[in-house]
Amino acid sequence: MLAFLKLAVFLAVALTVVFLTVSAYSRSVRRERLEEEWDEDPKGDAAARDAFIEDGMRDYEQGLRRRLIWLVYIIPTLLILLLIYFTNYS
Amino acid sequence: MRYVKWSLIAALVLFVVGFLHYTLPGRDIVRVTSTETRRIDFGENSIFWASADVGTAANPTRDVRFINAVRPNGKVIVYRNEDTGWGWPPYFKLDSSNLQAEADDIKSTPEAPKWVVITHYGWRSEFLTIYPNAVALRPAIGPDERLIPWLNVVILAVLAGLVFWVWRMLAQFHERVIEPAWIRFGNWRDDMRNRFFR
Repeated sequence: MLAFLKLAVFLAVALTVVFLTVSAYSRSVRRERLEEEWDEDPKGDAAARDAFIEDGMRDYEQGLRRRLIWLVYIIPTLLILLLIYFTNYS
Repeated sequence: MRYVKWSLIAALVLFVVGFLHYTLPGRDIVRVTSTETRRIDFGENSIFWASADVGTAANPTRDVRFINAVRPNGKVIVYRNEDTGWGWPPYFKLDSSNLQAEADDIKSTPEAPKWVVITHYGWRSEFLTIYPNAVALRPAIGPDERLIPWLNVVILAVLAGLVFWVWRMLAQFHERVIEPAWIRFGNWRDDMRNRFFR
């Protein structure tokens, strides 16, 4: 039981680190893309640029892509369940 | 200096390749001759042994199941049969007792061989007294059945993909966080210089 808890705690910590890193990366990539999109075809001054980017980031925060990052937790857990099944019950 | 650098790189590559070779599953075609249980006192080689059966107490000494086998070329190979439980490597093997029963069931003699495919990880070393850990077994088609390690291909591809992804993330971090910070620091330094050392 203790060994299982150790695995669960370590996995939770490790996956949380991955989750936060991937979130930051994904946000950064999205912001960069928005900046490039604006700079290719500017439609106003610096304030309009900021507004455009913040608007795009708000869309991102509610979008599907950001929610897909939860797969960081889901995929390893599913893999472990599959491994337990295939190693021991087949 | 160049030799130091290349020696370090070579050592790192050797370590990574060795680690993967030890940990990833391998498959052998063998004939099981007998199974046994021996008490093992773990010493310098304790890192090469897995864990006690899941749920049982971990003692400095314990009984370990072994599977003795013969390869098609006549050479012998001995596997240990231990739970990996919830620890490393992540095989989540909890069924050592069952595997031992399966191995017992398929024992055969040289006159009437029954070939089996044993999935295992680990190395046999006589110098360290370590054994590969058998993970699963199934009857083989014959002594020369062709085994293609698809699982290892997939695992290595996924690992390579992860390494590439980490590299991409670091590049992005460098471009978006570290470089702008350096530029701000440079501006601030020039600013200070202009203010005080005109």
